[in-house]
Formats: sequence, structure tokens, C-alpha cells
Amino acid sequence: MASYAKPLARQKHAEEHEEDPRQHLMHDPLPRGQMNAMVMESMRETGPIFWIITAVLAAFVVFALGYEWYVLIMQGQGVAGVTRPDYWGVFLVNTVFWIGISHAGTFISAILRVLKVESRRPFTRAAELMTTFGLVQAGLSIFMHLGRVWLTYWMFPIPNQRTIWPDFHSPLMWDLMAITTYLLCSTMYLFLPLIPDLAMARDRTQGGWLKVFYKTLALGFRGTEGEWKNLTTAMNIFAFAIIPVMFSVHTIVSWDFAMATRPGWNSTVFGPYFVIGALHSGMAAVAIVLFLLRSTMKHYKYFIRPEHFNTIGMLMLLVSMAWAYFYFNDYIVPWYGGDIWDKLFQEYAEEGPKWYLWYTMLICNIAVPWLILWNRKWRETPWLLALAGILINVGMYLERYIIIPVGVTINRMPFTWRQYEPRIEIPMTVGTFAFFLLLYMLASRLIPLIPVWEVQEGQEAHLIRKIGKAEISTLSEME
Amino acid sequence: MATELEQAGFTNRSEEELGGRWGMVVDQDLCTGCQACVAACSMENNVPFVGEEDAGYGRAMHWIRIERLWESTEYPEVKMTPFQPTMCQQCHNAPCEPVCPVYASVHSDSQDLNLQVYNRCIGTRYCGNNCPYQVRAFNWYDYTDARIRPELTTLQNQLNPDVTVRRRGIMEKCTFCIQRIHKAEDKAKSEGREVEDGEFTTACAQACPASAITFGRIDDPKSEVSRAATSSRGKHLLEELGTLPRVTYLAGGA
Amino acid sequence: MSEKISRRDFLKLASVGAATTAVLTGCGPASRYVVREPYTKMPEYTYNGLSTYYATTCRECAAACGLVIRTMQGRAIKAEGNASNPVNLGKTCARGQATLHGLYNPDRITEPYKGIRGQPLGRESGSVLDWDAAIQVVADALKNNNPSEVAFLMGMAPDHLFDLVSDLTAAIGAPAPVRFGALGMFESRATLSKAAENLLGQPAMPFFDIANADVVLSFGANFLETWLSPVAYTRGFAKMRRGNPKRRGYFIQFESRLSQTAAKADEWIPIHPGTDGLVALAIGKLVAEAKGGVTPRAFASVNVADVVTKSGVALETLESIVHHVVEAESPVAIPGGTALGQSNGLSTAEAVLAFNALVDNFGKPGGVSLSPLSPNQNVYHRPASAQEMTDFIAKMKSGGIKVLFVHGVNPVFELPKSLGFAEALSSVPQVISFATFPDETALASDYIFPDHHGLESWGYQRSVTGTQQSVLSGAQPVVSPSYNTNSTVDVLLRAAQLAGGKFAEALPYADEVAFIQSKLTNLIGETDGSFVAPEINTFAAYFQQHGGWWKNAAELPTPSAASALGQGVTVEEAEFAGEGEFFFVPFVSPTLAEAGANKPWLQELPDPTTTVLWNTWVEMNPETGKELGIENDDVVKIVSEAGEVEAPVYLYPAIRPDVIAMPFGQGHTAYGRFAQGRGANPADVLGLHFNEAGDLAFAGMRVKVEKTGRKQVLSRLEGKLGVYGFIEEK
Repeated sequence: MASYAKPLARQKHAEEHEEDPRQHLMHDPLPRGQMNAMVMESMRETGPIFWIITAVLAAFVVFALGYEWYVLIMQGQGVAGVTRPDYWGVFLVNTVFWIGISHAGTFISAILRVLKVESRRPFTRAAELMTTFGLVQAGLSIFMHLGRVWLTYWMFPIPNQRTIWPDFHSPLMWDLMAITTYLLCSTMYLFLPLIPDLAMARDRTQGGWLKVFYKTLALGFRGTEGEWKNLTTAMNIFAFAIIPVMFSVHTIVSWDFAMATRPGWNSTVFGPYFVIGALHSGMAAVAIVLFLLRSTMKHYKYFIRPEHFNTIGMLMLLVSMAWAYFYFNDYIVPWYGGDIWDKLFQEYAEEGPKWYLWYTMLICNIAVPWLILWNRKWRETPWLLALAGILINVGMYLERYIIIPVGVTINRMPFTWRQYEPRIEIPMTVGTFAFFLLLYMLASRLIPLIPVWEVQEGQEAHLIRKIGKAEISTLSEME
Repeated sequence: MATELEQAGFTNRSEEELGGRWGMVVDQDLCTGCQACVAACSMENNVPFVGEEDAGYGRAMHWIRIERLWESTEYPEVKMTPFQPTMCQQCHNAPCEPVCPVYASVHSDSQDLNLQVYNRCIGTRYCGNNCPYQVRAFNWYDYTDARIRPELTTLQNQLNPDVTVRRRGIMEKCTFCIQRIHKAEDKAKSEGREVEDGEFTTACAQACPASAITFGRIDDPKSEVSRAATSSRGKHLLEELGTLPRVTYLAGGA
Repeated sequence: MSEKISRRDFLKLASVGAATTAVLTGCGPASRYVVREPYTKMPEYTYNGLSTYYATTCRECAAACGLVIRTMQGRAIKAEGNASNPVNLGKTCARGQATLHGLYNPDRITEPYKGIRGQPLGRESGSVLDWDAAIQVVADALKNNNPSEVAFLMGMAPDHLFDLVSDLTAAIGAPAPVRFGALGMFESRATLSKAAENLLGQPAMPFFDIANADVVLSFGANFLETWLSPVAYTRGFAKMRRGNPKRRGYFIQFESRLSQTAAKADEWIPIHPGTDGLVALAIGKLVAEAKGGVTPRAFASVNVADVVTKSGVALETLESIVHHVVEAESPVAIPGGTALGQSNGLSTAEAVLAFNALVDNFGKPGGVSLSPLSPNQNVYHRPASAQEMTDFIAKMKSGGIKVLFVHGVNPVFELPKSLGFAEALSSVPQVISFATFPDETALASDYIFPDHHGLESWGYQRSVTGTQQSVLSGAQPVVSPSYNTNSTVDVLLRAAQLAGGKFAEALPYADEVAFIQSKLTNLIGETDGSFVAPEINTFAAYFQQHGGWWKNAAELPTPSAASALGQGVTVEEAEFAGEGEFFFVPFVSPTLAEAGANKPWLQELPDPTTTVLWNTWVEMNPETGKELGIENDDVVKIVSEAGEVEAPVYLYPAIRPDVIAMPFGQGHTAYGRFAQGRGANPADVLGLHFNEAGDLAFAGMRVKVEKTGRKQVLSRLEGKLGVYGFIEEK
């Protein structure tokens, strides 16, 4: 008689489909040293194609974020597509988009950790890196849109000769506070679980500047009981603390719009709207990143398996359903609210010169997840999930594009209505994407993208023991 | 001028808040759309011209613009709405003020006007977004720099020294010719009296051949602008937003 | 608002003038009246940091509005209206406000040139002269030619230069100077004058007192735009509307397109082009019938049903207008604009004047009278009509003009090409231009001896119409001249002295100021004017300080109504030249007028009704556009029998479907960087067709419209998406 203890994951399916348990990462342990060596090898070994791509990305980043931005600063915002009444354009879209992407990291890392979802283990770091790198792009984008960016420091509440504070009434100040907090917290939250892996890398590196790098950042971690206890406590605190930060950051960013008087923007729904949207685009981006990592990094097929894509896919589906409610809301509120300007805003998005963006967005954001993500097999197909991720992100980008540059056409003075057309924003946006990828590529050489110790920890907890001829999986309670 | 509720006494605002200090009345029945006010304002306030391409894209820097819409476009029953000169309404509850992160858009308590502090502006353009009347203009380029626009070298001679010349990255808007307000008040103060109605006026009101624009102390019941503002034809733009603008429009037509 | 110049100061200046006169005849420009000093050594009446205000006259059009220019440290920084000048009473139009963009224009001509005809101005082509050589050229031109072959072509403004040249030509036996301008062409001044002569007893400019009228019927007159005296008439309009607390004036405009003026009307009546006169007669007849009694001969024979058919105005509309007129206390009817620019323009004007006689408003408040002559003027003199210009051009072509002096007008641009002025220039051996800006005519001349800008000049200008008082507006330099320019009056005076003989005798004046003062002497001692002065120096000081001299009381000569009503007035059906499905209506751009294209802030002003900036457009009814498959911004070619022109289309709802309209003011091929190569000139398609008074029948052409397949996006201030909707734009 088969008696299986019930591991936390996949028990039911394993019974029904009689899968080989070794398909799951948690049930497929390798010796510690071997896993560490695999991770170090994936960092060290790379072909010339990697460096070619890196060089191309770097060159483009220098062009787009160096030269083009220089032109933007020296000549003025006129080289962008902004005008009256379209004062905000693609740079704001980028800011919101990248902050949205950055939410995925914290969501996966913190919430999934708090909820003890085991399948999160291999990809928390990749997601946290998305947060950090995404926030970098968001920060750059917000600077790009300032008219006199060299005076940005006036927004910082530091003592100054004019003895004047910045104006905390402004949602932009709230943004500054929130995003700075989020950046600092998520960097800390990235760094803490990184310490043991940095220590591992330090111990497996012979010499040179890399060794110094690891030695410095590993903070002398030796893996003693006391150190693990402190580290785990710190990580738990951060995991719980950063969740409200995550929710509040994008809510505050959404208040840039909700606090404005513009029709179509001035709505209390913006808070949850943006947070769910951020999760939607963030989860989709995680799918893309995981697919890329799995396909390009050596040995990662061991770490990142279809089951992880399944997890991400289910989350994407869940979020897309919440997201669908907000589109429903978009139709309903102008209808029963009766404000003609809100109605015009909606009408303009659906029937104006950019109507095709609206319908593409609906297809990408709702139709794509609902058609693809119900099927488990499809969810577990990495390239399909990545494709769905790309389409969803396109849709989410369009969603913000419709709110800002398209929506900003509509105001209560029809004589002023003009449609925005992006100019220098296009290469600079592509530049932020290139910079994001570039940072990832450089990070893949410097730090292990898989949190190996967490995987090992999980595998230890999910052991399968042979008792006689029966294979029994056991699970010890995680702290 | 105040809404009906306020006239009936249901208000938590003071008399000063409701009334204001400097006010303007625009009579849309008289405005002929001739653009003299636009030219006068631009000459007085050193407003730059942007050229055909930028103007066509919406970047013209007019501080005051004459709007017109079509009530009906079915020929021959075509009707244009009355010309509407639109300038900064100097709202008492200006939506552009709380959103500036660096206090570049602030309210003057003494003049009850909305001030744009050029040297503090860092160009986030939130104020422009938030203005329901869309009367704020942004310097998208260095439109006033003669080094990059050599045609300005001689034209610079006509710049008004009482008004800052703005560089790129700065938001600007109608100020009710605050330089003229200050000059008149300084003069009156040095003579130990109040500014008299009609002693000075804004550039737009001074130029208007139809005398469609009236300006003055709206808290002085004897002033011309006070009397005009109490007309039964009077209305405010986008009154439902509660911005408490200081410009009253007298409806065009019979 | 002007700083008072004390008599002592003026004497000081005058004495400076006297002292420098001796120097003047030798060398140097008249700018030595005003001596340049460093900032630390300010003139007595100026303080560093405070402004000095000078009263002068606006020269942007011929209305003679008074300006007060605020100057600071030698720079003119703001133009305001002169509150005392009766024409504008302190108000200015957009062009007056932008006059400083002319004074400080980067493309001003900076010194005298001997040019190469047809070449752009510059040191590469042509050479710089000094003023002595220049004046020698003028002296030789006067001396060495038969006086009958010397011609002066001048601008619309009847100013002191015009008086000087009139005196000179009269004394030497040369033909009188010809005044002309595109504005005058579009205003049909000869028609108004002739109609006044026929019906009101004397050639004059009629004055329509709309300020005190309670019902105004305007037949095509764009009095809120550029017509005759726009600031004065706009003031009148405002008074009509809301000046009387008991009633609001009622205004009806008959015009085939909704102009800026028509946009202010309570009723816009899009009548068939050329039928204004018939409609006036029909309304007159109905009014006469409504009032009872005998219908005057002028209106007796008109067939109302016929007029209804021809004009497209419904009988109910006519009757409702009649009702307004009959109930009115002081109705007035105004003829102008496209109504007069037809083959039947003169009879149209007569019909409308007869209508005024019918409602008995001659000489009454709110009615028609004659414009008073200026204080130092005896006889009404009007600018040349297009027919007279054609005769002038014929004289040029036949070799009858050996030297042509051009000042204040740009005929190569302002006259329709079909009149052939540019070609006729090649038959004139010597063309001397006094232009301030490098306009087309200046570049086609042999010499350019640039005059000062109006704000750098002395002088006076007569007010032709717009006010009930007789007005002479004065001018003085508000800044010292920026460049090596010279007042044309001074040039002519010195040239006359140099030429000697009858020339020197004709102009025995030491300098410009002396000449001006000589023309003011008849006003010394007059007690019924804006100020009294016992002798010339005081008078001149006050004249400069006030910005002119005008009579205090209204002095409107009253015409007699009898002749107006007793004659039969026949309005023939308008004849249209050429073939084509559209009637062509060129109209003067309300923001640019004829000469504003070189001022960037005028270019940046939107057209009031279409809000187009910086360019020319063709107005076409959207239904017509749909039928022809023409969309907004499609470039179309307009073809008449006289020429063709291309411009992008603006689908304008408020225009008759069989009419297309185009603004006049752009299409320069020279005239500075802001004007050159921009837009198109509708005068290119106007042909040699005149009305009975000799004015150009500029609205009497039929044209064809051809698609070119190109697109040129018009810059508009309005948001097309908001004004015209966004749903069609897929």
C-alpha cells in the first residue's frame, strides 16, 4: 500500500499523473558542491555572443541615454513630443511602466515568501534584480521629463540657503519619498539573501578584483548558526515590511494622476488600478526574464523548470482577472457617472485617432492571458509563457500610453485639444530597455542569479526517502 | 459673481476669499477677436514667438488666447460661439498650486493672485496639466536666446526690462501684469494713498479697441470692474470645479 | 501719459536743430537732432530706470491712430494708444502693438544702396553709397529729367511727405504724387468717394456713425478687421452694442463668407456674391412700403421676388430685417468689402447710401455723414483706384516715366500681377526706392535710400475717417535712428537745394521740422482745438506732446438727402470674369493686413476665424470639399483667367458652398526672413476687371480649383480634435 506523506507541493497531481517526482526541483537534489559549481560556472563561462550583445547594448545605451539625453537637456523639452495640452508624454509612461515592472520582484520575493510558496525559490533573485533595475529605469525616466533637470535637488528636503522646504502637498514629492524608500528597501531586500551566495562565490573565486568584490560584499559571512539566525530574522522583517511599501508605492505614483483635475484621471480607482496593473506587467516580465535566463544561461534548465512557469502563469491569470474588472470599471463609471468629460475621455480612447491602441491593449491584456493561461501544458511551456509575457507587457505599456499621452489630449477646453506624437522619446525609451537588459547581463557575470542556498534549503526540506521499496517524500516544517 | 448657494449665505469662505482683490471682466459681446490683446500682452511680457512648426504643434506661448468654437456647423445655419479671450483666471483655489513640488506656483496673499516664480521652476509641468483652463505655457526651447536664434539680436531691443526673460524649462502664464500692479502700488504707497481705479491697467485691457476687457480692484465697489462683474450676464469659466476664478465673463449675444 | 516737454527743452532741441542745420547741409543724417549719450549722462527729463513716453502716430496703416511709445534708455519697449487722439482714444490694434517688431526688425535696410535690379539686397550685389552721393542722385534725377516724366508713387497715408511732394510736383510741373495701397484696393475707396459724389453731393469719404446706431446693416464692410479705420470702428461697434444701457445694438452682416466682422453679427446672411446692391434696394422698398407713403424713385423699380431668387435670401429673412429697421430709432447701412469689389460696386454703394437716405439718417447720430477734412486740409484727396494705377502703369510701359520714386508702398506685391507693374518697371530707366524694408519693389529698384522707420520720424498724418472730429495726428522720433537711414523729406529738401533753381524755390525749408512747422502755421491761434498756442514754437511743442491737434467739436458735414432719393438707382447684375465653378473672395488678413508679414509676432497671431498661423489657406465649405474629395491641408491650385496660385485647404463651415476665400498678406518673395517664401498671394489670380468707379472688382472672378495631390499641414492655434471632433479621424 502506498502511503505517501503529503509534501506541500504537487501531491495531488503526482498521484493522478504519476509523475516522476524528480521533475520538480525540490525533489531533484544534487550535492551542494555540485550545485554551487554549476552556478559559478554559469557565471564564468560564456561565449563571444554574450559579449557582442553586451557591446551592442552598451553602445546603444551610450547613444540613447548619453547623447540623446544630452541633446534633450541642452536644447530643451521641445525635442520631445510634449506640447500644450500634452504636457506629459512617454517619459511619464516609462516611469510608470518601469515602476510597474519593479513590483514583480517584491511581490514574488516578499509575498510568496510570506505565504511560503515553495516554487518561488529559484527565481526570487532574478525578480528582485528586476525591481532594482526597473527602479533605475524609472528614476532615469522621471529625470528625463524635467524641464530643468539640473535643479532636481530642489526637490530633496535638505537644508538650503533659501531656507525653503519642497512642497509636500505635491504628489510628486510623495513619489520622491515613496520611490526612494522603495528603492532603498528593495535593494536591502535584494542584498540580504545575496550575502550567503556572495560568500559562496567568494570561497570559490581564486583571486583578482572579483575576489575583492565578493569579499567586500559578503561582509565576512561564514555560515555560522548565529549569522544564519540574524540573517533569517532580518529577511523576515523585510519580507513583511516591504509588502506595504510595495502596495503604497504604486498607489502613490497613481496619485500623480488621481490627484490631478484632469477628466479621466481624477478617479479614486487609480490606486488599486495601478497596483494591479503593476503586478500584471511585473509578473509578465518575470516570465520573460525567466525564459531568457533558462535559455541562455548554462545549467539553468536545472534550476528553472516548467513548474515555475506554471506558478507564474497561474499568478498572471489571477491578476489578469482582477485587471479585467478595472476595464469593466472604465466603461461603467463614465456611463453612470454622467460627466461628459469622462465620457469624452473614454470615447476618445476608443474612437479617436489612436483607437487601435485601445483594442490592441484589450487583446494583449485580457484576451492573451485568458486564451493561453488556462491550459496547464501551455503554462508550463516556457517560450509560450514568455510570448504571453511580451504581449501582456506590450498591452500594459499601451495602457499607460493611453492614460497619459493619449488621455492628456482631453480636457475641459476643447479649443486646446491636440494629439501627442513622440519624438526623441522613442530612442530614449528603447535606451531604457537596453539599459535594463545591459544591467541584467552585467549582473549575470557578477552575482549568481539563482539564490542557491534557498534552493538547497528547500530541497533539504523536501526529501524523498526510501522506506523499504516505498518512496516517501517528507517535509519538515520550515521556520 | 458668487454661486447661488454662496449668495444665500451657505458658505464657509470669507468675503475676501469669495471676492478677491484684483479682478478682470471680459465682455464677450464686445470682443471682436481682433488679437490686439494677444499682441499687447506678448509685447509687454516678453513672450517669445515660436515659429510655424512649433506653433502648429501647440507650443505657441500665448499667455492670452482667443478661443472660438462652433455651436453649429450645418450650413447655412452656421453659428460661431462668441470669441472668448482666455487667460490665467488667477483662481483663489488654484489647482496649479498644490501640485508643484518646489513652490514655483504659489499664491500671493497680499495680491490674491497666482504667482509663477520663474527662477524656482524645475519644469515638472504638473501645474500645466492641472490647470483646467490650460492657460499655462512652457518654454520648450530657449526661444528667447539670441545666440541660437540670431533673428532676435535686434528684436531684443524691444524687451520690457520690468519682466524677466525666461529660458528653457520654465513654465509661464499671465500674471495680471503684476509688474504694472507693483509699479502703481509703489507709486501710490510713496504718495501715501491707495491705488485709484483706472490709474493703470493690464496690457490687454489697455489695448482692446472694443474695451471688452476691464481690470481693477474688484473689492472696491466703486471700481469699473466691480460694477461690470455684478452684471446679470456674468459667469465664470468651469465654475463647477470650485476654482474661484477672478475673471468674470459677460455672455455674448442678446 | 506722456512726459511733458517743457518749452525750454523744446527750444533747446530746436536750437540744437538750428545749430546742426548748418552742419546738415554738409553731411550727416537728420538723426543729429537727437544726440546719443552714454547712460550715465541722461538728458534732463530722463532718469535711469524710469521710462520716457513719446506721443507719435502709428504708421502700420493709414488710419492715423495716435500712439504713445514707452522708451527706456533709448529703446522703444511698448506701444500704447494715445488716450487723447480722437481716432483711437488710447486703443490700438494688433498691428500697432507689433510696430516695434518693425522698428527692431532684423531685416531693416541699414544704409543707402545702389542695387542691381532683381538681385537680393546685399553687399555682394550692389554697393553702399554715402548719403551725399545718394542725395546727388536724387538731385540729378530731378534736374536732368523733364518734369512731366518724373513720377512719385506713395503709400496710403496722407502725411507730411505727401504734402511736400505735392508742393514740389506742383511747383515744378510734374504730375501729382499717386497714393496707393492694397488696403485701399480692397476698401474700394474710389467707389465710396464716387458714390458720395453722386448721391451726397461731393466726393468725400462717408462716415458711418455706428456708435450711436441701434441697427446696423453691413453689406460686406469688414469694419472690425482692417476696413478704413479699424480701431475707431471697433470702438463704435462696442458703443453700439453695450454703450446704451437701454438697448443693445443689432447688427446684420451680408457677406458670402463669415468674416471676423460677420462673426460678431447677430445675423450673418450668406448672400450670393454681387447681389448686395439688389438686396439693399429690396429692403429699402419693403421698408418704404412698411412705413407707408410714396416709395422714393430710388427704390421704386426693384423687383423683390427677383432679388430673393438672385441673392438666395429668403423673403422671411428680408421681412424680419425690415421689421428691425422699421422699429429702429437710428438704423444705418454700410457698403464695403466684397460688395464694392464687384463689377456693379458703384451702383451697390449708391443703393446702400440711398437706403440710408430712405431711413433719414443723414447727418444724424447713428447715421451717415461725410468725414471731416483734416485741420490743414482743404480738399478731399483719395488714393488711386486700380484703374488709375493701370493708367499709371501704361504710362510707365510707354516710356512716359523716366524716373520713379517709390515710398511707403510695395506695388510689385500689392498690385495684382495681371496689372503688369513688375514688367513695366523695366521700361522705367531709373527707379529710386525709399523703402525701410527690403520688399519686392525695393529689390526691383536701382537705388534704395532708406527712410527712417515711422517711429524714428518727424511728421504729421491726416486722419481720413473714423472720428467725428477733424484730426491731424503728429509724429516724432521716439528713439534715435538705429541705422544710417535718412528721412525722405530731408533727402528731398537737400536734393532740391542741390538741384537749385525752381526746385530750391519750391522747397525753401531748412529741414524737415521747418517744413512741418510751415504746414502748421494756419492752426496757430485756433481756439476750437485740443490746445491753443500763440506762436509756432509753443504750438510745435504742444503738438509733439499731445501727439497732434484736433478740433474739439464734432464737425460732420451733412450731405443732402434729396439727390440720393430722387435719382433712380439701377443695380445691374454683377458680371463675373472667367470661368469656373467657384466665386473667388480674397480678403485682407485681419492680423497681417498688407504689410505685417515681416513681423514675427503678427505671424504668430492666429486668424480670428480659422486660427491659422504663419501661412495662407483656402477656405472651402466642407460639403464642397467632400464632393470634390478634398480634405483639410490638401494643397489646391486656384486657376483664374489671369493666373494661378496654390495653397492648402481649410474646410471652413461658414462659407457659401460656391465660394472659396483666401487671405491677402502672405506670398512674399522678399521683405525679410519672416515674410519671404511663406504662403501665397491671392492677388496673383486677380484680373483686370474694374467696377464703374475704377476700383478693382477683386471679388468678381470665377475660378477653378484643381487638386495637386500634395499636402501641407496648416499650423492652427485651435485643436482640430476639439473644435471639429475626433471621431472622423480614423
